Amino acid sequence: MEKEELKEKIYAFVLAAKGKKKVKPRDIEKGVSAETGAGIDEIKQAMKEMIDVGKLMYSYTGGASSVEIPSEEYLREKGLIK
Amino acid sequence: MKKYDTPLLDELEKGPFPSFVKEIKKAAAKNEMANDELGQLEYSFKTNRGYWKHGGIVGVLGYGGGVIGRYSDLPDMFPEVKFFHTVRINQPSGWFYTTKALRELMDLCDTYGSGITNMHGSTGDLVFLGARTEDLEPLFAELTSRGWDLGGSGSALRTPSCCVGPARCEWANYDTLEACYQITQEFQDELHRPAFNYKYKIKFAGCAVDCVASIARADCSVIGTWKGPILIDQDAVRWHEKKGMDINREVVDMCPTQCISYDGKELKINNDECNRCMHCITRLHKALKPSGERGATICIGSKAPIVVGSLLSWVIVPFMKMEPPYTEFKELTRKMWDWWDENSHPRERIGEVIEMKGMRSFLEAIGVPPFPQQIKEPRKDPFFFFTEGDIERFKKREEEEKKTGKFIF
Repeated sequence: MEKEELKEKIYAFVLAAKGKKKVKPRDIEKGVSAETGAGIDEIKQAMKEMIDVGKLMYSYTGGASSVEIPSEEYLREKGLIK
Repeated sequence: MKKYDTPLLDELEKGPFPSFVKEIKKAAAKNEMANDELGQLEYSFKTNRGYWKHGGIVGVLGYGGGVIGRYSDLPDMFPEVKFFHTVRINQPSGWFYTTKALRELMDLCDTYGSGITNMHGSTGDLVFLGARTEDLEPLFAELTSRGWDLGGSGSALRTPSCCVGPARCEWANYDTLEACYQITQEFQDELHRPAFNYKYKIKFAGCAVDCVASIARADCSVIGTWKGPILIDQDAVRWHEKKGMDINREVVDMCPTQCISYDGKELKINNDECNRCMHCITRLHKALKPSGERGATICIGSKAPIVVGSLLSWVIVPFMKMEPPYTEFKELTRKMWDWWDENSHPRERIGEVIEMKGMRSFLEAIGVPPFPQQIKEPRKDPFFFFTEGDIERFKKREEEEKKTGKFIF
């Protein structure tokens, strides 16, 4: 699978969980791997790249970290949108 | 600069002890954030309430940890501490700094923060207290350009830490500094990109004296040990006695396995019974020293009493060589994380999961065979993994013994 396509699958997975469940990176790796058959390392790398450019972001609530779709406030704070 | 009257905090400056109030006041003389922090703290003391909010989404791009969001609940009264984030910086192994490095760090703390630090936080990191959200990225850029990096926070591998090890201590049974550095480098993703259900701490202690208190504070405690006998210099034993030590009271009676005896002339140790606790060596430091092969005992599961009660680490591998490239330790760590991830819920530490699921299933999953040293409480931890084949074999042997009259029930 092309990396860009894999990134879209990851984004769709996180988006589907929005407001329902806090997903941590390993949940995404397992879920996307089961759906696409892509390897864990491949997914990990794609997710890392998405986080590095602000397509996804880490969040923290009640002692546990998760991965989410970035808010506008976050993107503005990081200078990724005006 | 607004000045706050702090009659309640002033009380904490009295007495012979170091005072954090005194230090905040020093910082407050030149920093508005520290000044407002002082004001908010006095107000907290007056009203008997805390006004710090914690958590949320704050950090540097690409990292999921290293910054802990803190905000004032009274931003109108104390606007300079509206954002007062904590920044954790990965400390050098054994906390060795040059004065040049310290000056550089303190300059950054003055420029981008409140000028107040915590040397060091309880996990071991160097902590900058009070940074504004907009200052986080510039601060991170300055730190990384000078070779520093953020530490761990959230549900991730926390910054590994170690004792001073062979740099200053003759008792170090392995190079804790090197092990800590190499493991930190190996698990950079796990440190900066939270992937676990909860925090995971690794601490490296060179011997059982455990100066980093790894046995009580680390999910994985790596404690130096040795295989050979304790070497005894009988003249030095007598020297200690001449210096006023009551060897029977201070050493022999304190031995947890009662493997030492002293008749006033000769000290004897039954090394087969010794559990390498180091007590006798620390007391008779001129007379006793470890010998033979050196390595570490790997223990798992300690934690502070937050969700359930506190736990101490539990031996899983009695002896492991701790030498670069630490392949065995790295592989074991990965296997433990996989099991933990499969079996835990959010906010469950690995020790709690072992308590719930049982040490037996944990050991089976990570491929570590049962050892007598794993037994925490005699007759309570049955880790003997009898397979169907074993039971068949026992039955056959029993039948044969019954036939020959050798069977004893």
